[in-house]
Amino acid sequence: MQQRRELDQVYTNRKLLNGQLDTPKWWAPTVTILGIGVVIGLFVIATMINKGLGVTGLGRPVYWGLFITTFVFWVGISHAGIMISAILRLTQAEWRRPVTRAAELLTVFSLLTALVFPLIHAGRPWRIAYWILPYDVARGIYPNIRSPLIMDPVAISTYLTGSTLFLYVALLPDLGNLRDRTTGWKNAMYTVLALGWRGNPRQWKMQTVGGILLSALMLPIFVSVHSIVSWDFAVASAVEGWHSTIFAPYFVIGAVHSGVSAVVTMMALMRWLWGWDDFIRPEHFDALARLLIVVATGWLGFTFLELIFALYGQDAPEIALREMQILTWPWNMLFIIFLLTGYLIPVPMWLFKRVRTNIALMFWTSILVNIGMWLERFLIIVPGLARRTPFVYTWEAYRPSAVEWTILIWSFAWVTLLMLLFSRFFPLVPLFEQKESQVFTDDVMIGRAKVPAIVREAE
Amino acid sequence: MASEAVAHESEHHAPPPKVDADVVARELIATTTNASVRFKAIAWTLGILGVIGIVALILKWVNDGDDSTKWGYVATIVSFLLAVCGGAPMVAMAPVMAKANWVRPVTRLAALFSFGSVVTIIMLIPLVALLPPLVTEGARRRSIWFEAPDYAPHIWSVVGLLLLALTGIMLFYSAAIPDFASMRDHATGWRQRLGKRLARGWVGTDVQWRTLRMRIGMFGTFYFLILVFVTFLISTDYGQSVIPGSRDAIYPMSLTISSFQGGVAALVIALYFARKWMGLEKFVHLDAFWSLSRLLFALTLLWVYFFYSSFIVFWYGRSANDIATLDLLIRGPMIYAFIAGAILIWFVPWWILIWNRVRRGTSAMVVGSFIILIGLLLDRARYFVSAWSVPQDQIHQKWLKVVPETYFPNIYDILIMVGAISLAAVIIMLMTRVIPVLSVWQVQEFNLLSKPIRYVRGHATLVAKPD
Amino acid sequence: MTTAEFGAHNWGMVVDVDKCIGCNACVIACQAENNIPINTQDRVERARTISWIRVERYWEGDFPDAKARFIPIMCQHCENAPCEPVCPVYATYHNAEGLNVQVYNRCVGTRYCANGCPYIVRFFNYWEPVWPESLRNHLNPDVTIRSRGIMEKCSFCVQRIRRTSRTARSEGREIADGEAQTACSSACPTSALNFGNFNDPNSKVSKMKEDKRHYTLLDQFGTDPNVIYLAKIDADKKVGAGEHASHG
Ligand code: SF4
Repeated sequence: MQQRRELDQVYTNRKLLNGQLDTPKWWAPTVTILGIGVVIGLFVIATMINKGLGVTGLGRPVYWGLFITTFVFWVGISHAGIMISAILRLTQAEWRRPVTRAAELLTVFSLLTALVFPLIHAGRPWRIAYWILPYDVARGIYPNIRSPLIMDPVAISTYLTGSTLFLYVALLPDLGNLRDRTTGWKNAMYTVLALGWRGNPRQWKMQTVGGILLSALMLPIFVSVHSIVSWDFAVASAVEGWHSTIFAPYFVIGAVHSGVSAVVTMMALMRWLWGWDDFIRPEHFDALARLLIVVATGWLGFTFLELIFALYGQDAPEIALREMQILTWPWNMLFIIFLLTGYLIPVPMWLFKRVRTNIALMFWTSILVNIGMWLERFLIIVPGLARRTPFVYTWEAYRPSAVEWTILIWSFAWVTLLMLLFSRFFPLVPLFEQKESQVFTDDVMIGRAKVPAIVREAE
Repeated sequence: MASEAVAHESEHHAPPPKVDADVVARELIATTTNASVRFKAIAWTLGILGVIGIVALILKWVNDGDDSTKWGYVATIVSFLLAVCGGAPMVAMAPVMAKANWVRPVTRLAALFSFGSVVTIIMLIPLVALLPPLVTEGARRRSIWFEAPDYAPHIWSVVGLLLLALTGIMLFYSAAIPDFASMRDHATGWRQRLGKRLARGWVGTDVQWRTLRMRIGMFGTFYFLILVFVTFLISTDYGQSVIPGSRDAIYPMSLTISSFQGGVAALVIALYFARKWMGLEKFVHLDAFWSLSRLLFALTLLWVYFFYSSFIVFWYGRSANDIATLDLLIRGPMIYAFIAGAILIWFVPWWILIWNRVRRGTSAMVVGSFIILIGLLLDRARYFVSAWSVPQDQIHQKWLKVVPETYFPNIYDILIMVGAISLAAVIIMLMTRVIPVLSVWQVQEFNLLSKPIRYVRGHATLVAKPD
Repeated sequence: MTTAEFGAHNWGMVVDVDKCIGCNACVIACQAENNIPINTQDRVERARTISWIRVERYWEGDFPDAKARFIPIMCQHCENAPCEPVCPVYATYHNAEGLNVQVYNRCVGTRYCANGCPYIVRFFNYWEPVWPESLRNHLNPDVTIRSRGIMEKCSFCVQRIRRTSRTARSEGREIADGEAQTACSSACPTSALNFGNFNDPNSKVSKMKEDKRHYTLLDQFGTDPNVIYLAKIDADKKVGAGEHASHG
């Protein structure tokens, strides 16, 4: 572990508020380019809604394709925030502090993006009100609450509300800080948003208690969201690749794998773009990578179990499906890429401390993980549907169209744009957490060795 | 000492008193020799019960050795002991890897549970004999052994369990070397000679310490993998694959999770009695209970999550197979065991453990742990008795067509179950005569690494995190 | 007891596979009756064809003893339908007459029902349906034209059932056995497709389904279909019930 550095508060403030107080030069051009991309994407979406889903590559029996895959992917990414902020907060992992804000943001924005996909993938999106809102009370027809598709919006909107609150509670002290450092309309904005934050002991106490309570409340939601998404698939007993009891925890741990990796990607970017070398340090990458090794290995175990128990029944259709998913072109190529990028390349690399503390390598490996995790969802959803079932003359007929790819890329541009816009007005590294971590860590002398130590509340 | 001065200032938040390293060694080693009357009485009772259990097992084999439908309760006890004796050492391993300080004093006690695995192996023997080979009547039944030879499940489950016990004991031993050295230096009689033999020239050089830590890490990881593997084997070969058509991918994982749960619960009970009756209050602080209870709470929630994950898929899926599985395992003859199990393993402990005050105390924790263990036993009985009650000639059906009558335990089954648990308990109790129930060097390290400090206006602990 | 009132029937079909000659008359009849858009080359290439009933080829037995067989497949109107509970808007549900009905107006097009159906007999309208000018006036006025973005599937010609029961009611009599017919069953030259009321133990279909050749498709999914198949009689071997239930 490298030596701790004392950072004084003035320096911390100046560095961490550089996004808001003096915007970096690259910001405006990047946002413009991304903005143009996003507008193009929105145009494509509008065209699709206007023309109909015929513009996608979907057919029969592959009724769900790239959109649902991407939906699951973004819901997965959203697990980063709560994993890092809530779970690590409850388990008192000190190193979480500088990355909590970014992770929570990722949660909120990726959920916002994820929500788009089921909507645009419906045949008649303008009729979605039937689906989510029980507005039809007059006729006595409510949405079908037995449907997993009703539980999806419920779970996701609960998660979104909760994580937005969580983000906001953690933002309060920093808003107060910004209010005191700005003038004009910005000052007015921060004044309203800061809700009269003064930083007196009572406010701090309530902020802390609020944070802990929200963490505890968010945990069940965290687990349930992806479980519910997974049950969309698992309850379909007619689809061999889907009907597995392991799906809920399998999806959740996969989501943590991809979410935490996405946080790593983001941390590297933040370090490079805003020059926060003093705050986002190699030891943070080190800790995250250790966490990732455990999570990824657990996830691989689940993958293995899923596969074993698919074959366990020794039913012909199930075996045929797996043969297609793993052994036949082009799925076999995707499967190999998925295994390599999802586990076989990054995890062995992370075993070395030199890799774990190398920012560039961590950046690229974490991107690999997310490629793999996207492919994982694709390989579950699409071959499951494209398999050849008895008594059907079409199968395996799915090639995503340009429209679908564009919308997939759009979702990435959209999340990045939201992030950058946010960074213009709010700090991406929580200042108060950063300062708190300075106070809560210390070195102790044990014999002749200097050992890093942290402060724990006494029982 | 300076810290003791701080301790007397306030009653509530007083940090626990510091104990000198020397005192730790002397007092802990002394606990191995002075067994109380109560201890002896309990050990004798349990021992006798254990012997009766073994006799009952043999008698049962003589009586019912040809009818597999009557062996459900033995399968239950195998999986129960696998959970408790297999799970406990694991639970102590995981926090070590996360560099938790509270766990250090209790690792020894947790590792001692490995010796109980011997009983698991004994109980498995009749089941191995009764499990049908993979290929019967010319057809291969559904199993994880696709192309494997006929007797693969029989061989591998035995090998797996042996390996588990062995790794557990190695894990125990590699962490015990410094203590054997302390015994060599402080104990008398055969204990000193044993310590000398087993300490293998330990003097505490840097190299020795480094190898020690490496070994603990290695055996710990290895132990975890084997535990998962063995649970996987037992749950599929002795549970799922004897039910025609059953396919539940998450079941091995649920069993693993409830193994951990059972392990922690048993550890809490053992720790409570060890602390109380051997006067170890000085070394085992409330901190340990506090952390164990949080672990227990989390595992309790995980249990219900895993259970629900599989239940909803069957319940909603409604294919012929799904319905048959639910009919046998949940709605079927064992429904009351299932409900009671779910209440005891999840609902009641959940409501007990959710209160901070309860978790900070010890007595309610122990009650909660007992409840969990009873629930665990019922839950395992629900699954394994139902599974074994299916006659083996139906093993090739695509799904279970008729739910069989359940088998009620007779006197042999009860004696076997009581005996097996007693035997495991007495083995662990006897081990505390051989080596201190708390690890001497870990207690010393625990004291070294945490330092009570004054923090603003309250007390706090400064915990060092060495690499 | 049959009456013309709603809910007194349990409509179902018995398909005698032994009689089916694979002529595809049912397919064409269905296409015409139910305003199904034309399966153009583009639709076929993109696997977006719509055919509420189809005659499907399958293999029986393993090579070299494999035999090519064909079988008409349509929505099985499952009593325990996997497609129903998953619909978030109740666009598909089971009505009191044993039909699995599709409410076009409510459908939002999630296509979840199609994933749930093991027989793959649900179809999605990827495009707005178009007919050549010459066919515009041939559309059946009793059947809704399904716009793009919604699911459709075999309805057991519910419009014909309604018409029959309306007539019967207005004439103050009961629906006679065999009076209500689907387009496919009335087109079938060999009477392989038989439509009728399972609630009436004396109806033709009720008697037919007692045949010892009867089986249901893919019974491992526990769907309990209202379409009963009678197995093909194989001159080479003895036939048991349910033997043909699953094929690769
Ligand atoms: S055959 Fe398919 S569409 Fe028809 S009722 Fe059954 S599941 Fe639904």
